[in-house]
Amino acid sequence: MSHLGPLLLKEERAVFSSPIACATVAVYLLLMGYTFTAVLFLNRTGDLVRVFFQAAVLFLLIVPVVTMRLFAEERRAGTLELLLTAPVREMDIVLAKFLAGLTLPTVMLALTASYAVVLGIYGDPDWGPIYSGFLGLFLLAAGLTAIGLLASSLAPNQIVAAVAAMGLGILLWMIDTLGYLLPDPFDRIVSHASLVAHFTPFATGAMFLSDVGFFLTLVLTGLFLSSRALARR
Amino acid sequence: MSPLIAVERLSKWYGSRLAVDRVSLEVERGEVMGLLGPNGSGKTTILRILTGYLRPSEGTVRVADLDVVTRSREARARVGYVPEDVPLYEWMRVSEFLPFMARLRGLRGPAVGRAVEAAVERLALGGVRDLLIAKLSRGYRQRVAIAQALLGDPAVLVLDEPTNGLDPRQIIEMRGHIRGLAGAHTVLVTSHILGEIERVADRAAVLLAGRLLGVHRVRPDGRDVRLRVRVRGPLEVVRARLQAIPDVRAVTVESEPTPDVGTYLVESRTRPIADRVAAAVVGAGLGLLEMSAAPLDLEALFLELTGRAAGAGR
Repeated sequence: MSHLGPLLLKEERAVFSSPIACATVAVYLLLMGYTFTAVLFLNRTGDLVRVFFQAAVLFLLIVPVVTMRLFAEERRAGTLELLLTAPVREMDIVLAKFLAGLTLPTVMLALTASYAVVLGIYGDPDWGPIYSGFLGLFLLAAGLTAIGLLASSLAPNQIVAAVAAMGLGILLWMIDTLGYLLPDPFDRIVSHASLVAHFTPFATGAMFLSDVGFFLTLVLTGLFLSSRALARR
Repeated sequence: MSPLIAVERLSKWYGSRLAVDRVSLEVERGEVMGLLGPNGSGKTTILRILTGYLRPSEGTVRVADLDVVTRSREARARVGYVPEDVPLYEWMRVSEFLPFMARLRGLRGPAVGRAVEAAVERLALGGVRDLLIAKLSRGYRQRVAIAQALLGDPAVLVLDEPTNGLDPRQIIEMRGHIRGLAGAHTVLVTSHILGEIERVADRAAVLLAGRLLGVHRVRPDGRDVRLRVRVRGPLEVVRARLQAIPDVRAVTVESEPTPDVGTYLVESRTRPIADRVAAAVVGAGLGLLEMSAAPLDLEALFLELTGRAAGAGR
């Protein structure tokens, strides 16, 4: 019998009853609102490319703050012992925490959709890049959530989890620049690991299955390693 | 019938530190087994392996014939666990926490409500049902933790230091709860306080530095393995007659004959000996004035075992 339902419900309540949820959504909306307004008035173009990149950078900073408590908080409070001694699959626990961690960025994205609505009302935007941009942001958020979950499952406390996830996320975001310094084939390998290299096509309206596959691989790897980290005790 | 809990040559290493050293232990259905030992003696580690939280380094643990490693989920479904520091979700109300734990234990639909109601009634939690767990006193938190362990009616209940941090009145209540669970459940309870184990357990396993020093019966169960007898007759004759009885392990003179009536403590290895002690005394023409069961003095035993272990270690 799967325990995903009750676990997910509990995790969602934990995420949304925490003051972190309110604070991160508020900060995100404030900064995104500023970005959207500034870009719209300065550029006077009906696209969201810069808004998407701004959101991606904010996700690099915000998602680790959301995910840091997922395992580290349970470990600190000792409740992880309750969960792991119940007749529950470790993967159900990991999956519930991942989905709950992804909910908050998804809510932020849904709220960001209001900018697209504004563009639709007052202009005639090209909807293709807008759809692909939101899909790209969602996949990026999922990848960062998986990284954050893994950091939280390994770190001794929440702060270390947040710093580690942030560091790894930012490193993966800009690792493609390292590719210019490396010889073939290492330059290509490093470039393939870059978050920005795989996100840029989505933001500019070019969707490739390989980019979707990259983010899905990142998510599955994060979930698998988190599950192994949990089993190692 | 096989024991409900069977621990065989269990060892656990934390890095280079050996926390549990080849412990073997069996717990029968319906009994309360106490794990007694100072802090750091390996009690909690044994419980954590039994409940599936930790993996053993060597040896096996079986609950209802299910290996806790290879058939972990099935074994965990048969164990209710109250960890030492009573970890609970502080942001939940009691009325949210118990149904959540019931669902984790596999209950669905009306069975959740029924199990929660039974646990609330048993632990008298009706008055705090709608309170946040963060607002509860230590005593109530302990009760909530036991209530969650009872959900799904597991065969085994594991309580790690259940009286820690409670006031004297709460300790007495907690002892009552633990004794009330015996019979219907097999209870494994740890304490570093000797008096607590003496009051709640049927048997006590004494641990020191990860090693099991011995398992001893705390409550008499009809097996007269320790008897106190008052006999009229010369000391040497009485002692020789008692020591000649098969299965008698030791005869201790508690008080020498004054003028000719002495008190002796007769210990058997395992089997009942009351009838043979009586026959030996009467058959030798000595006077049997009194015979009673002599429950184990756990404090004396603990000091003896730990002292012996310390002596062996030197």
